[in-house]
Parts: sequence; structure tokens; C-alpha cells
Amino acid sequence: MLRLSPNLVPMLVVALVVLVLYWPLMYLANIPAAQRALDTGAVLPCKTALECATQLRSPVLPSPQQLWQGFGNLMFPLNSQSAIPLNAAVTALETLVGLLLAAMLGFFFAIGMVASRAFERSLLPWIVASQTVPIIAIAPMLVVVLGQYGVQGWLPKAIIAAYIAFFPITIGVAKGLKSPDPLSLDLMKTYNASSWQTYLKLRFPASVPYLFTAFKVAMTAALIGAIVAEISTISFQGIGKMLAENSRASDVVAMWVIMLSSAALGILLVALVNWVEHLATPWRRVPQREGGGR
Amino acid sequence: MLPPRLARPSALWGWALLLVGFALLLWFIAAWWHQLEPASQGHKLLLVLGGLLALLGLGRVAQQFAHTPNPLVGFTPAALTLLLILILAEAWLRAYQVPPGLIPTPSRVLSTLLAVRDVLLRDAFQTVVLEALIGYLIGCSLGVITALLVSRYVFLERGLLPYATIFSSIPIVALAPVLVKMMGIDWPSKAAIVAITVFFPMVVNTFRGLTEVSPLSLDLMRSYAAGELQQYRWLRLPNALPFIFNALKLGTTLAMIGAIVGEFFGANGQGLGFRIQIEAGRFGFDIVWSAIIVASLVGIAWYNLVAWIERRLTGWHVSYR
Repeated sequence: MLRLSPNLVPMLVVALVVLVLYWPLMYLANIPAAQRALDTGAVLPCKTALECATQLRSPVLPSPQQLWQGFGNLMFPLNSQSAIPLNAAVTALETLVGLLLAAMLGFFFAIGMVASRAFERSLLPWIVASQTVPIIAIAPMLVVVLGQYGVQGWLPKAIIAAYIAFFPITIGVAKGLKSPDPLSLDLMKTYNASSWQTYLKLRFPASVPYLFTAFKVAMTAALIGAIVAEISTISFQGIGKMLAENSRASDVVAMWVIMLSSAALGILLVALVNWVEHLATPWRRVPQREGGGR
Repeated sequence: MLPPRLARPSALWGWALLLVGFALLLWFIAAWWHQLEPASQGHKLLLVLGGLLALLGLGRVAQQFAHTPNPLVGFTPAALTLLLILILAEAWLRAYQVPPGLIPTPSRVLSTLLAVRDVLLRDAFQTVVLEALIGYLIGCSLGVITALLVSRYVFLERGLLPYATIFSSIPIVALAPVLVKMMGIDWPSKAAIVAITVFFPMVVNTFRGLTEVSPLSLDLMRSYAAGELQQYRWLRLPNALPFIFNALKLGTTLAMIGAIVGEFFGANGQGLGFRIQIEAGRFGFDIVWSAIIVASLVGIAWYNLVAWIERRLTGWHVSYR
């Protein structure tokens, strides 16, 4: 795994170009705001608009040193209630529990759909339609309703995460369960295998690759669900709560820091799925394809 | 229109069960229309019976439609399921007298929807046309252009594409407050959120379509001495069309979600997301549901519009033959 990817150098160059372009862009965006602040005659520690551009309280684009300080402020102390690590952990927990619930729901629907065509005909259109619907819109209401019935704390957020994440899992598992080729299914029939044995020995193993692809999509969806649930309710912990708080307080630098951290959290959680996939499917570790269809 | 096997006794049984179940539930709803106290145990038992009968009937009826080729007729079981869920919800909510401020009954939501349709239509115009549609068009066109560049230059492919993949695992909601602060609470900030959300799937999908070309076809182009432009015009772009449409269809959902979530962080007093946020905060759930229904109808219509255009433009593709 230590082999250097050929992508590394170009990726670093692109990152560098973005960073270098960021500075002039930041000045360009902030100088008018800084000029306006100076024109009001406020007492500022800086003299010219150029100097002030990096020190604005609510910059259009925060300067790198502001971001750096913001990281310092929000990351430490590690166990503080208002610091990112603890809140990110809570959100991650909600997301993971949500994913687990979504997996159970997804398996139930998928098996139902594969086992009975009538079930598929009656439900699939609505499962698909629920995806063209902005499901996120239901989150604020669901949290309030669940809260009324005593489901509080992190659980309702996990339920919403599950609600948003179950669709990709359902579709992925259904696809996977249908993926064994007809020859293998015929073979099972000649062995006089019961349908339970067919599932256990053929369909489930065949669905594993599809399952992990679905999990990666579902993980991001669950994270979005958890964050939206935190934003739209009274919550005391979580990335979403920090976002909502700082959005109300108009703390732009903090919002940037939280945005970057939640991006990192999302990448980390998907990497976790990749890692589990790597552990769980040793037979698929052979390098799959080189170079694509170029 | 009805399938021939309908005449079989088991199908008739199914319809009969379904009708009896529906009749029980509807009778209860009618009887409890003006009641204010919860139903008795006997009534609740009757409801359970009605629900079970309807469910059994539905299962049998659905079996008859399992292999109908016509999509409209095949949709019958799904329509019946929705009807059953709505009637069951109405009956249960009335039997337990759940306060309408908590979970409004379907009939109440419908009447609210009719009552406030003007406001919701104005909200929908702001959310859908100004925010989602403009952002969608900008994001998708930029995505296609980027994919063209990325597929042409290997350096960009190696340097940019991994980032596009990484970006797909980032929760976009975290982006929303930053953009709203940066660009103000009017619609352009939400359009920007939508554009960013649809951009990355577009790049990844289009790139795959442009590069997953059969080597044989590439050889053929080469033997015709086709220029690069011709290669794109006659081989790569047509090959990418199904992939582009996949991203376009995916994008319709993402665009609606992006616009609605964006409005959670500040709006100019209009928009479906804003309405949902405000009304959920003061327990006006009938309006929330109405807004969700409007958003859903728009989302489904938009998706089907794109799917229809896809069928017109890529009718030659394997999946439609």
C-alpha cells in the first residue's frame, strides 16, 4: 500500500495552485469590505485597506492565518464541550448508528423485493419517489414528532440519518442479491438447495461488493442527515449544532473551520468503509484494473 | 385495461378483501369525523382487522400485476398501497386523537394545501426556478466542460479527478452556511450551493462516459484519420450521453435538496425550505407537509422531464432497445 500513486504529484500541484490563487482572491474579495469598514471611521488596528483585508471580523474569504487561528481555537482543549473533536465524535456516532439502522431496513426491503415481485411492484415506486423528494425537508418535523414521544438526544438524529441513508442500501443490496448469474442459480436448484440455503450460500456472498459500494454512498447521506437533524432541532452536541450556533453568531472564520472539519469527517467515515471492505473481502484485493479504457 | 387473469377466483378474493378492508376503514373515518375523544378498544380492533384485510387483499391483487408489461397498469398496486397508507394513517390518527399540531391527518394536510397554495407556489418559484434550476444549469454545464478538459489532459485527470471523488464524500450542508454568509441571503447564494452540489457527480460521470470508449471504436477513428475534435464529436460525446443523463437525473434530487437546505441558513422570507423551517418551529405541520408535497411533486416532475429528454436523445442506447 506504500507504493506511490502516479496521481500524487499532479494532485499536489493542483492543491498548490489553488493555495497560491487563494491569496489574491482573498484580497480581492476582502478589500472592498475592509474599505467600507475604514470609511465608517471605526477604530481599527490597521491603517490601509490592504492591511485590514486579512484582519476583518467577518471576512468574505478568511485569510489563511485567520483560518489557522480558528483551528487552534476550535480544536483545543480536545475534551471541551465547545470544541470540534467531541462534537464531531457525537455526530460520527449518530451517523454510524444511523447507518446500522439503515442497513437493517435496507436488507429487509431488499430481501422482500427480491423474494416477491408483488412486494416490489407495490413499494418500489414509492421508495424511488422518496428519493426524488427532498427528504431532508422531513427532518425538522420528524425530530419534533419523535421528541414528543420521548425519543430524545442523539437517537432521533440517528433515525433521521437512517431514513435518509436506507435507499442506496436497499437498491444496492437488491441489485447484489439479483447479481448471481442464472447458471449458479440453476446449480443451486440441481443441488436441491432450499431458498434459505440459496440466500446464505449464493445470494448474500454475491451481494457483498454491491453492499460496500452502497455503504459508501449511504455513509455520506447519513452524515448529511445527522447534521441536518442537529441543525433543525434543539441539540446540545454535534457538528450541526456548532454550525447553527456560529451561523447565528455570524462567526465566519468558525464556520469555515467547521466546514473543513466536517469535510474531513466525511472523508474519514468513507475511508472507514473502505477499510472495512478491505478487511472483509480479502478475495477482492487483487488490483482490479489499470488505467481505465483509455 | 385489466389483465385477463383478473377473472381467476384468487384475484377476485383479493379485490373483495381489499374492498371490505377499505370499507371498514372508511366507515370508521366517516363515523369519527366529528368525534373528539379516542376510539374504544372495540373500534381499534376493528381498525386492525380492516387494515389486515386490506393488506391481505393488496398482496393478492399485487400478485396479479406482477408481470404486467404496461407501466401504467403495473402502477396499480403502488397506487393502492399509497391509498391504503393514507387511509390507515387517517383512521389511526383519528382513533387515537393525536393532536393535529403534532401529526396532522392526511385530509387536513390536503385542505391546508388547497388553502395556502398561492403562498406555496410563490415559495416554489423562488426555490425551484431561481435557486435550484439556475444552479443546476450552471453546475451541470461547468461539470461537462471540466470533464471535457479533464478527459483531454492526463495531468488534469491525475490532479483533479481524485479531488472530485473525495468531494463526493463531503456533507454539503456544511458548505451552505458559509456560502450564505459569503453571498447574502438572496437566491444567488442558494444557486451557488446547488451548482457546487451537482458539479462533482457531473464531472465524475461525464469523465467516465468520455473515457470508457471501446478501443475498437478508437482504432476505427484513428484509421479514418479523424481529428481530435471529430473524435469527440462522433465517438466520445455520444458515448458519454447516457452517463451525462445519469448525472442529470441524480442532479435533480441533489438540486432540490441543496436549495432547501440552503434556505435553512437564511432566506429572504420566501422559499420552500424557509417555509418548512419556520412552520416546523411553530408546530404548523400541516403547512410543512403541504410544502413537502409541493417539493415532492416538483422533484418527481423534474426527474421525469429529464428522463423523458433522455429517452428522446439516447433512444438508440442498449438499455432502451
